[in-house]
Amino acid sequence: MNETLHVLAELGWRCAALSLVAIGGINAILPEVHRVVVDVEHWMSSADFAELFALAQLAPGPNAMVIALIGWKVAGVAGAFVATIAICGPSSLLCYGALHWWDRLREWPRRAVVARALAPVAIGLILASGYTLARGADRTVVAGALTLAAAAALAFTRINPVWVLAAAALIGTAGWAG
Amino acid sequence: MSNGATAHASGLPEAEGLAHVSRGALFAASLKIGLLGFGGVMPWARRVFVDERRWLTDRGFAELIGMCQVLPGPNVVNLAVIIGSRAQGPMGSLIALTGILFVPVVIVLVLATFYASVATSPWARNAIAAASAAGAGLILGTATRLLIQTRPPVRGLVMGAAAFVTIGVLQWPLLWVLPALVAAAIAWEWHAAP
Repeated sequence: MNETLHVLAELGWRCAALSLVAIGGINAILPEVHRVVVDVEHWMSSADFAELFALAQLAPGPNAMVIALIGWKVAGVAGAFVATIAICGPSSLLCYGALHWWDRLREWPRRAVVARALAPVAIGLILASGYTLARGADRTVVAGALTLAAAAALAFTRINPVWVLAAAALIGTAGWAG
Repeated sequence: MSNGATAHASGLPEAEGLAHVSRGALFAASLKIGLLGFGGVMPWARRVFVDERRWLTDRGFAELIGMCQVLPGPNVVNLAVIIGSRAQGPMGSLIALTGILFVPVVIVLVLATFYASVATSPWARNAIAAASAAGAGLILGTATRLLIQTRPPVRGLVMGAAAFVTIGVLQWPLLWVLPALVAAAIAWEWHAAP
């Protein structure tokens, strides 16, 4: 029992620390997560880590799901919830505080200037994360074509993305995209 | 988009449509994003918040995402905190987080339990590989749509391109590049703003 609590506490503080350095989200700190989980804590092998990452991609929800799975692997369902709360808690509190500070700047005439400056950088970063994922996923011409078709569908039509993903999966079962 | 223009004139684009969103509506929207967000939640967040519910304009969405990216933590989790707070204060943040984050956690745990039997099937692996490729496309399409809708000036396009090339193509460490990009973007906008 004490052993379990010890592991949960270790998991909690490791994830809480990662939470506060995760600028750019979970994908940006994956190498650091790997270092902590595999090399420092020896909670699992590198192959286990890769498998959990693939599993997180398979499920709906944010990229932070991989952290929930790491917690699950280390300490079961309790581990999954401790890891999720710890990876999101500190950054969420910081975000909430930052939002209120930002709202207090309401009278500051240059506030809109800062917001306007951030928007295009944000779009560039979304583009970068799509590109990074595409580089990993597009191992064949068909996969590349699926990426382009999905991008065009979302950018220029109002097709529900569910149909885009379902159609891609269906085409994939033929075995051309792997 | 006339709605967007007036909203922006008030200087508070992100707060405009969110002030009177009920807790139930907030949870329903967050849950939808959490449950449908296969291969990335960002495309769904934009679709639900901007296209379907019209709580935000494209410009307001891009500005909020910018703020979420500068702060540490998962971007979509930060977005849930902000949108929830705008609608219903601290309780709203918790409601949005529950829908976007905790319900998918339960699903992923169920999935993890059955994973071993699915992972060995070749057709499932092929379907997942194809869906991942399309998922990357959805994110690229979301960025393209935001670009078209917000029509940034040349200085914005330059800063956006700089972010894409340094982080996406060159894979430089975000922790160092992002502060520099943000500082440069604000300085340029500041200098150019009327």
